[in-house]
Formats: sequence, C-alpha cells, structure tokens
Amino acid sequence: MAVEVQPERAEPVSASTKPYFRRMGVHTGLAGAVAGYFLGHWLGNFLSSGYLQNPLSDSNDVPIVLGYALATIGWLLGLGVFNDLFGTMLGRPFPDREAADGAEAGLGKYFRFTLNHKTVGIQYLFGMIGYFLTGGLFAMAIRTELLSPSYHIMGPNQYLMVVGEHGTMMMMMMSSVVLGPFGQYFGPIMIGSKRVAFPRLEALGFWLTPAAFVILLSGILFGGFPTGWTGYEPLATEAKQGMDSFFFAFGLMAVSMTLAGFNMICTVINYRAPGMRWGRLPMFVWSMFSVSFLQVLSAPVLLGACYMALTDRTFQTAFFTNQLGGSSYLYEDLFWFFGHPEVYILALPGFGVISEIVSVFCRKPLFGYRVAAAGMLGVGLLSFFVWQHHLFDSGINPDMRPVFMLTTELISIPTGFIYLVGMGTFWKARIRFSIPMLFALAFYFNFLIGGISGVFLSDVPADVTEHGSFFVMAHFHYTIMGGLIFAFMGGIYYWLPKMLGIKLNETLGKVHFWTMFIFFNSTFLPLFALGLMGMPRRVFEYANNLQTLNDWVSISSYCLGVSMLIFLFNVVMSTLFWRQREAGNPYRARSLEWQVPTPVPPANFERIPVILASPYEYGDPDAPPVADLNPPPGVVSSAYVGASRGEA
Amino acid sequence: MADPTIQAGPGEVPSIAEEDAAFYHQSAVNAAWTGARLALGALTFIFGAFAFSYFYLRSVDSSGRWEGSGYHPPSMVTGTVIMLLVLASAGVHYGVLQRIKAGRKRAWQRGGAITLGLGLAAVGLQITQLATLPFAPGSSGYSSVFTGFYPVFLTSQLAAGVWLESLLARSRFIPEMSFVEQPPTHAEVYRVQRFQSSLSAFSTVWSYLALMSLLFWLLFYVF
Repeated sequence: MAVEVQPERAEPVSASTKPYFRRMGVHTGLAGAVAGYFLGHWLGNFLSSGYLQNPLSDSNDVPIVLGYALATIGWLLGLGVFNDLFGTMLGRPFPDREAADGAEAGLGKYFRFTLNHKTVGIQYLFGMIGYFLTGGLFAMAIRTELLSPSYHIMGPNQYLMVVGEHGTMMMMMMSSVVLGPFGQYFGPIMIGSKRVAFPRLEALGFWLTPAAFVILLSGILFGGFPTGWTGYEPLATEAKQGMDSFFFAFGLMAVSMTLAGFNMICTVINYRAPGMRWGRLPMFVWSMFSVSFLQVLSAPVLLGACYMALTDRTFQTAFFTNQLGGSSYLYEDLFWFFGHPEVYILALPGFGVISEIVSVFCRKPLFGYRVAAAGMLGVGLLSFFVWQHHLFDSGINPDMRPVFMLTTELISIPTGFIYLVGMGTFWKARIRFSIPMLFALAFYFNFLIGGISGVFLSDVPADVTEHGSFFVMAHFHYTIMGGLIFAFMGGIYYWLPKMLGIKLNETLGKVHFWTMFIFFNSTFLPLFALGLMGMPRRVFEYANNLQTLNDWVSISSYCLGVSMLIFLFNVVMSTLFWRQREAGNPYRARSLEWQVPTPVPPANFERIPVILASPYEYGDPDAPPVADLNPPPGVVSSAYVGASRGEA
Repeated sequence: MADPTIQAGPGEVPSIAEEDAAFYHQSAVNAAWTGARLALGALTFIFGAFAFSYFYLRSVDSSGRWEGSGYHPPSMVTGTVIMLLVLASAGVHYGVLQRIKAGRKRAWQRGGAITLGLGLAAVGLQITQLATLPFAPGSSGYSSVFTGFYPVFLTSQLAAGVWLESLLARSRFIPEMSFVEQPPTHAEVYRVQRFQSSLSAFSTVWSYLALMSLLFWLLFYVF
C-alpha cells in the first residue's frame, strides 16, 4: 500500500515571531472589509440595475445588503478566520495553536484571530465595554432631547434614529456582555479544562461582534431606522435603507450568539476535569450553560426573521406584507420567540456572576445550590413559552391572553428561587463590603424592583394600560441595567485582577459604585411615575406638566454618565499607569480560577486537575481543598476511566 | 478500537503527557458527538422558523394570497428530482459508512465522492430552479416561503459539502490499515478516531438534511 501519511503534528505550533503588520490581523481585516463592501455594492448595482425598487420604501437595498455581506466576508478573510478551514480542505489537520496563541507576548494577539480562550475573553471584555459606552452616548442624546417638551435639538426622525441605535446597541450587543468576557475566559478554567471544545467557533463568535457593531452604526449614514430595537413590521419594510443595517447586524449577532453558546455547551459537557460532577459545577457555569442553550435554540429563529426581512427588502419576497399574502404579525411572532428568551439571556448571566461573588464575600456556602441550578434551567425552559405576552396589545386572540399571562407569571417562580438563594446566603453572614459585593447587593436591590414590576406587567390589564409607556421602559432598565450591568461591573472588579494581574483602584471603585447606584435609581425610578402619568416611549414631545420629572431624569442620567467616566478613568489609569499588581488569591476564594497562578498560564493548568470538593464550602474548617492541581501520574487516567464507567 | 485512555502497558503508569493527550482526545471525540446533535437543534429552529411561516401564512391567507390568483406551482418534477438526489446522497453515505466501519477506506472514499457529487447536483439543480421559477418571489405567501427557504437550505447543504470534502481530503493521509487494526502510535490512533468521530457527526447532519429535504418537499409540493 502506498504510504500517504502526512507527518503528524504531535507538537503544538509555536508562537510566530513575525512583526504584527506582517501577519493577518485587524489591519488586513479592515482592508478586506472595505474591499468587500465596494465589491458588494458594485455587484448589487450591477445585478439590480433596472430592478423594480422596493415599492414600500421606494429604495433599492440590494447594493447595500450585498455590500454588508461581502464586507463581512472580507473582514473574516482578512483576519484569517478561514485559513485553517482551507488547510483542512487540503487534508491538513487543524493546527494545535491554542497554547501558542495564549503564550504570545505583547498586545498584538488581542488584535488578531487568536484561539486561546483567555485572549478571546479579554477581546470580548474590551469590545463589550466599548459597545456599552457607545450605547450609553446615545442614551445621553435621548435625555438631552427630553430636557424640554417643546424645544428640540433633534427632529422626530433623528430622535427615533438615536432611540433605535441606543436600544439595539444595548439589547443586541450586550447579549454577550457576560458570556463573552467572563464565560469564555473563566468557563473552561472553572470546570478544570485547559481548552475549549471549538476554539475557532469561539473566536469567530467574537470577531463577528465588531462587524455587527460597525454595520449597526453605519445605519446612521442612511438615515437610521425608525423601529427601535424590535424592527417591527410593516414599519421596517417601509423604512429607508438604514433599516438594512439593523437586520444585517442583528443577524450577525444571532450567528455570534449561536456559535458562542454552541462552544460553551460542548465544552461544559465534555471538557470537565475528573471529579467535576454536575453537582460541583460552579453556579456561574450553570448560568452560562443555561444561557447557551437559550442562545443556540432561540438565536437561529432571530436569524431567520432577519433574513426574511432582508429578502423582503431586497428580493421582493412578501413574508411581512399583508397585501401580498404575508403578515406583519409573523415577524412579531418570530422576533419575540427570540426576544423573550433574550431577556433571560441577559438576566441569567448576572445571577451567575453574583452567585460567585456573594458566596465568597459572605464566607458561606451558597444557600440552596441545587435550587438555584434548577431555577436557571427552569427559567430557560419557561422562557420559550411566554413570548406572546409582548403581543397582548397587538391584536392577539383575546382567548390566548390568559394562557400567556399564566406562563409569564409562572416564570417568576424559578426566578424567585434564584433570587432567594442569594437572600439565604446573606442570612446571618459576616458580609465583607468589598466593591464586587457592593455591586452584588445593588443587583439584588435593583432586580427586586425590576422583577416585581415585571410580574405586575405580566397581568393583561396592567400590560394593556401601561403598554408603550415609560413604565415599561423603567421596568426593563431595572432588570437589564440594574441587573445585568451591575453584575457585569461587579464581575469586572472581582475578576479583572485575575484576568490582567492588575487591581483597579479601590477608592475610585467605591466612588464609581455609589455614583452609579444612586444616579441609576435617580434616573430610572422616576420613569415609573412618568409612565403612570402617561409619558409614551419613542416620542420626542410630551406634555408640559411632565417636564420637571423629565429634567430630573435627564440631569440624573448625566450624573450616571459621569459615574461611567469614573469607571473608565479607573480602568485606564489602573491598567496603563498605576499598575498595582495583584497576584494570588486576594479574596481567599475557593473556586478553581483562583487556585491557578496570576497571570493564568497559557494552558491554564500544569496538569489536568482532579476535583475533590464543591467550590462553595466556605466556613467549614474540615472542607477538603477544591482540587488536586498536581495529581500524580496515573490518577487522572484512573479517575477518568472510572468516570467513564459511571463510578465517579 | 482499544480504550485510548490506556496508554501504558499493563501495570505501567501513563506519563502526564499521555494522560493529557488521552483525556483531551476523548473529550474532543465526545464533543463531536455533542456538537452534531446540538447543530441539529440549531438547524431545527432555523428551519422551524420557515415551517412556522409556512403554516402561519397559509392559515392566515392574507388578502386571499396564500397562493394568489394565477398561481403557477414550481415544477413538481424538478422538486422531486432534487429531493431524491438529496435522499440518494444520504442513502449512499449511510451505506458506505458501514464500509469504513469495516475498515474499507477506499470504498468509503468512492462512496463519499458520489455522496458529494449527488449533493452538489441537488444544489445546482436547486439554484437552477430558483432562477427559473414561474412566479415572482413576492407574488404570494407561498412564493415568499419557497424562495426564502431554499437558499437557506442549500447553504446548509453546501456547508456540509465542504465538511465532507475536508473529510475526503483528510482520509488520503490516513493509511487504510489504520482502519483495520490499531495503528502503532497513539498519535495515529487518535487521528483515526478523530476522523471517525467527525465522519459520524457529518453523517448525522447529512441524514438530517435529507430528512428536512423530504419534509419541506411534502410541504411545498404535496400538501
């Protein structure tokens, strides 16, 4: 037989020594994106010249959509995303370059398509901070416009554009705000793994986010979109070309979410270290696991909806055009089938982060561990059965309303489980009021208000009354910003020392916390009152008697913006200039990520650890260590073989 | 195939590097299995969005235009041939999968090439059909779902085709004997097992796509 064996790549690939600009990275990606856009735009014009324009919007969107499509492909090609795929199509095995990517020195690796999950986590972290601050700037613009009921700095369409950009930026990009940075960085370490299941898909998931971000912002150049973050039909089909940016960017984020969730699920199921039973899984990992299922199963439906909307706008299908056999309600159904799980995609990671923090700073085992894990799975499952409550006021069959009211109310039960787990952990604890813990406490305070107002709104009479008002807006800002973003900030203060080896300044951190907490509540609590007094969403003029409260809210929002500047100042100064080193385990936490050195070695662990105990056994002097990080040879294989036979 | 975790001989303790390699090899093999099932879940939800659209628009029949006046159906013959090509492709692959399990690599390679050819023929015919439809994409609810669904489906088929092509390419570098008896080195054992797990995952996805092809053929052409 002819020998056709390619030399086996038993040795991992070593790090490249070429200078940054001689390798593929963001610069080549940008070149590919620009070239791709112009090629796509030209191709679109070529294909659709003489093409009947979209009669509802009176525009021809084919060149723009093809431009976005080829720009995205050019971006990914330029980054080198497909290099390994092309190699494998020629028969080469995937090179093992995860550890080499992680070991590479310098900042260049953060601007390249790298496969080490920790590098991807840090890319996500700074990406998400950037997206969040951009969305925040749009919020400032909204509040500036609302300073006066009649004096305007924006026109009505411009205002809608800003509202749409803000809402979409926050709901779309922030879906990965925890799973991206902390999930990708710490998920594998917390389960005792040296790697993830599908590193290329994980990295691709990140590199789609800058493309989505830029495409979403590019909508401004085409006049924006008038639909807010939901893209409702038939308004969307009638909208001008800026609408394409919404659907294309949201579609890209749907792919990103699916890939990130896919990798996380496969990693958690298959890459847990010996002894890491499901009952020992950190609560943060449980939250990532639940959220990943939501992403993998709901984001494809969003992708389908965005695709249909784009074909309606380009190839003249009529999915959502009533007069041509379509239905605008179809879009609403498809969107909210994703949109409501999306709420939990945003909320559950917050609970995961906070559960880690609370246990450490209460020095107590997490109260009701199994209840919390079951609650997370329960929330995830039920979230697929509540989407119609978003259509209570949009023509749903009235007989169906009680069903979805009931399912919506039911979901408060597992959510309450998770919430009460926190309360139970606080009970009789000697709480250390460090910065992460302050954010955790604020999370519970804010989420209580957001959660209770949500249960109130799930009732049909209340929903019909308050639909489209600032009351609803206050509710979801309390759950998303008051919940998720406070948890994200808590996570940054808690985990950044481990990620970067740098500690953020504590005094500035406390100033940041108190200003953020006070002005968050000062901004959003009055919105409940404004909503009850009849202030509608997405309208730039309002009754004169609402001005005082609106001014209060606007000024508070500026102060909230200042608190973000304090945070940004702290991050920049602490990481670039003050550089106060933090090594070891400053919080004396038990979980696995704090047992490895700082900075975390490229392969995370010297050897595969053997997990011995739960990470939450605080306060028990006889508790065994959480893991044996240096098991003698033979232990891992025996534990692993035992586990595979169901003995562990 | 022998248990890959058992590297050392009887009574010998495996080295740390061997333990690591065996552990992550087995994890990767399992991840391929999990990933294939998860991919089916994600694909089901995206195809489900189209199936939901089909039933929704058909039942709503907005403006009496589920099919619309002057409705011309797509060619039943072409649609049936496309569906049969996809089914035949999956059937051929299922058959030759048994061959490689029996150690006959070359038989699988030939069958894999036929599978790929049939799949690409189905894609090509589908593109031709889409380019020559007897109705405008937005002439009715039916036409919208039809013209919207098939590009997504054939994109999935093309992606799976790339996967099969890479498997065919990889198989060239694995000696046939490695499929018959255990190779001499652990690296070779792992390589063969990785290949087999990837092949098994591909087969699952390819068979699933054939099932979807049949279901949507029933929706678009029969009911």
